Amino acid sequence: MPPALSLPLRLARRELRTGFKGFRIFLACLALGVAAIAAVGSVSSAMMAGLEGDARRLLGGDVDLRLTHQEASDEQRAYLAASGTLSEVVAMRAMARRVDGEARSLVELKAVDGAYPLIGSVELNPAIDLEAALTERDGVFGTVVESALALRLDLSVGDRLLLGDATLELRAILEREPDRVVNFANFGPRLLVAEAALPATGLVQLGSLIRYHYRVVLAPGTDREAWIEGLSERFPDAGWRSRSLENAAPGFETFIDRTTLFLSLVGLTSLLVGGVGVAMAVKAYLDGKTTTIATLKCLGAPSALIFRTYLLVVLILAAAGTVLGLLVGAMAPMAAGALVGPMLPFDLPVRVYPLPLLVAAAYGLLTALAFSLWALGRAGQVKAAALFRAVVAPTAGRPSTVFIVATAVAVALLATLAVTTAPDRGFAGWFVAGAGAAFALFMAAGWLIMTAARLSGRPRDPELRIALANLHRPGAPTPGVVLALGLGLTVLVAVALIQANLSRQVTERIPEQAPAFFFIDIQPDQEQRFRELVTSVPEVTEVLTTPMVRGRIAAVKGVDAENVTVAPDSAWALRGDRGLTYSATPPTGSEITAGEWWPADYAGPPLVSFDERIARDLGLGIGDSVTLNVLGRPITATVANLRRIDWSTMSMNFTFVFAPGTLEAAPHSIIATVRIADPAAEALVQRRVTDALPNVTAIRVKDAVEAADRILRAVSTAVRATAAITLVAGTLVLAGAVAAGHARRVRDAVIMKVLGATRGRILKTYALEYGILGLATAGVAALVGTAAAFAVVTRVMRADFALAPEVVAAVAVVATAVTLTFGFVGTWRALGQRPGPLLRNE
Amino acid sequence: MTSLDGPDALEPMIRLAGVTLKLRSAAGEVNVLRGVDLQVAAGEAVGLVGPSGAGKSTLMMIAAGLETPTEGSVRVAGRDLTGLDEDALARFRRDNVGIVFQAFRLVPTMSALENVAIPLELAGRRDAFEAAEAALGRVGLAARVGHYPDQLSGGEQQRVAIARAFVASPRLLLADEPTGNLDGRTGESIIDLLFGLARDQGTTLLLITHDTVLAGRCDRVLHIADGRIVGHDSRMAAE
Repeated sequence: MPPALSLPLRLARRELRTGFKGFRIFLACLALGVAAIAAVGSVSSAMMAGLEGDARRLLGGDVDLRLTHQEASDEQRAYLAASGTLSEVVAMRAMARRVDGEARSLVELKAVDGAYPLIGSVELNPAIDLEAALTERDGVFGTVVESALALRLDLSVGDRLLLGDATLELRAILEREPDRVVNFANFGPRLLVAEAALPATGLVQLGSLIRYHYRVVLAPGTDREAWIEGLSERFPDAGWRSRSLENAAPGFETFIDRTTLFLSLVGLTSLLVGGVGVAMAVKAYLDGKTTTIATLKCLGAPSALIFRTYLLVVLILAAAGTVLGLLVGAMAPMAAGALVGPMLPFDLPVRVYPLPLLVAAAYGLLTALAFSLWALGRAGQVKAAALFRAVVAPTAGRPSTVFIVATAVAVALLATLAVTTAPDRGFAGWFVAGAGAAFALFMAAGWLIMTAARLSGRPRDPELRIALANLHRPGAPTPGVVLALGLGLTVLVAVALIQANLSRQVTERIPEQAPAFFFIDIQPDQEQRFRELVTSVPEVTEVLTTPMVRGRIAAVKGVDAENVTVAPDSAWALRGDRGLTYSATPPTGSEITAGEWWPADYAGPPLVSFDERIARDLGLGIGDSVTLNVLGRPITATVANLRRIDWSTMSMNFTFVFAPGTLEAAPHSIIATVRIADPAAEALVQRRVTDALPNVTAIRVKDAVEAADRILRAVSTAVRATAAITLVAGTLVLAGAVAAGHARRVRDAVIMKVLGATRGRILKTYALEYGILGLATAGVAALVGTAAAFAVVTRVMRADFALAPEVVAAVAVVATAVTLTFGFVGTWRALGQRPGPLLRNE
Repeated sequence: MTSLDGPDALEPMIRLAGVTLKLRSAAGEVNVLRGVDLQVAAGEAVGLVGPSGAGKSTLMMIAAGLETPTEGSVRVAGRDLTGLDEDALARFRRDNVGIVFQAFRLVPTMSALENVAIPLELAGRRDAFEAAEAALGRVGLAARVGHYPDQLSGGEQQRVAIARAFVASPRLLLADEPTGNLDGRTGESIIDLLFGLARDQGTTLLLITHDTVLAGRCDRVLHIADGRIVGHDSRMAAE
């Protein structure tokens, strides 16, 4: 061991002989934050490992090629079949109805060929063979459905149902699909049929929103990347979206990334709040070591030895707290497997994931350093001469510049770690800046509360006077408690308000503004009939129709889409196909922000109108070119104008709108929105349309809103539970502050008893002290949390903000209750102390 | 200014010349020491007596390098202490000065053996613990080497403190009311120990005391009042 460390290490070990008593809060604060970060990282790694491990099964092969509106050509099919084993799957939305027409439901229809599934197997109840379940018997094809559909339509195995123009027989309940990934945009239950059953349904029409999937298990020894490249070269204009094992479930991966980012940042917030507890514990410990430090200096110990010794003490404790947190965090995949495993479409590999644990350990040790160096620097300033004074008082004020700089470096390293390990560095950067601002804000709030207490004069009520004095006396824990508890409460307020506004948006604003129905897959020659059917119901107030065709961005300013650099928020625009339309007039609900709209009778080269945000993220401006692949044909258009779209109005709107003269000849369908004054008439509208036009699919907005609300509730419960961890960290700091002040509280209580104060009056004093502290902290947290929620709701979600007073009131109650409880417990213990022993020692 | 010459013509162990210390407080400037001249010969035992606040402790702190005078020069064990930084002063104390306090000032998380060994460990001595054990034997605590301060009586704690102060064979030992927290009998044994070890090692003693017995054992007693040396008694003169 280096000589410079052997003596400090020996001294540090001696200092730790009393064990970890007095460091319980230090250890708990650090362990909680490290556990949160380690747990999030471990579960995220487990999810990604599960996705990767089951990628082939989820994808349905080695490669999945998707075409919209059109099937692959015979030449393309032959090429794919020659490369290995091919399976074709057709997916679309449709309406399923009871034979008696009494009930109907939107379904996610999937038609499969005989080779399906290429990987894995379908689980049915009863456990029959899939081919047998779907095959035609006595002129009727079979179907298997999710139990939700059977319940909705009140069907049992053996019953018949209608799908489009076809009658199907329910042969089994679909328990599990091998290639089903969680998709938040699925509103209807799954209905599986044989591909051969499709023609009879009449659902396959020109322009219908149908997705054709071609899954290939490549021949052994085939280089997948090379094959995909060869495919692009062979069929450059095919227009299909290809997915391989690396992006088997991009939507779910994005969901995991986003959730990991959010939860990691919440975990980091807990760790930062816990850091305040660490700082308070280290300060209290070193204040208690003032005499020892002065003695060592008298004996000839230089300041550097003092610093190294107590730094080692802190690092040993930090290591203990970190290891504790890592142990808990490492077990998180096991807990996740038990809680959510059955809901996941893949097996969650339960094992230890070293990398996230390493990152969490780095967080723990850096946090301990960042929050300890200040106090360690001050401890080194203890003067040996202090031993000659009656009371050896701890040093006050700032440490030397070296330690201030060292603290700043540790904080900077922590911030760098947060940004570099986050899936979205930009967002993490904003978070770090916000956390710094919040810290500064709450430290200022603590100072303000102390100043207000100091300036409050001398109330006549003695309990109130002492309570206020305790808030601002030298060494009062007010700043630390306000900071830590305040941060935890702020996160809770912000999360609760954002969730309340989101929920309000989904359950109130959207239903107010949104139409009752979206109807899709209306054929152009059905439009007139559709209008007649809908307007035959008197309660219908508005019917809007617009043509729609699907296409995908193939190139931006001449650069292939796969080589375009795009901001993460708009990356979705380059993935897969998007809805396109054409219009002579600007769509309602959008505002032209750049360029000019074309004349109503425009008949020139292709022009396109873009959503301004997508355009900005793609680097597109007025006059730039963009190429879209529509049904296999590349169409290069010039950007004529940019629009700001208010999606919250739920009016029909499209990211890309073409000028007239380009898309009319392409096979397309019509989509429509219908507004109905009386919700009771919705069922009638749906029945009339889907009975007369079985190929038309009705998406009831209320169902979509309910589905969205269900997801929101589940997510917000999880989010609030995670945010509560920050509050727990703040509560630990409060507990630490109460514990640290225990000796003073005992001494003060004894003196007050000697002077004639009853226990009730002493309790009242401390109740007032902690009650004021809790309320004041809640007040600041409510303000800051509301401001944060306002910024997120108005700037990020672009929605109107509404204050939820009940949320703010609940937070105030929680804060006050928490501080009062801890204050009461601490005071009760102090009141139990007998005065004799203390007075004799004095 | 007052001055006193020591009886020895060789380099004095302590030489203070014109030492003044002024401290700033909320109530204004306080003259703690006013132009003190002092010489203490090597091997001499000098007692400092005077009322509370007279400047006795401050004088001792200056001699130990724990306080820097506003004016004047301080030379201890042949070394000029003025101008040395804090770490240099700490090393100086490690190598030359032992200190005994009224309140013992043992490190509570270290055993008696470890408390005594610290100065030797700080000096990098490989035989620190062997020497510490021997030092504890010399103060009669060979059987208590593994005990912690809270397991020792007041007298035993002060013995440990004395062992710690003498273990590195300091040239100068400073004691601030070493018997102040002890009863009479225990205090006497501590005094015997202190003077015995100082005699054996040739250590110069500078003591602050209100204890007349202890003061009577010193070669000289200096009376300090209001920051000045206002008088002295010499044992040789008394004899």
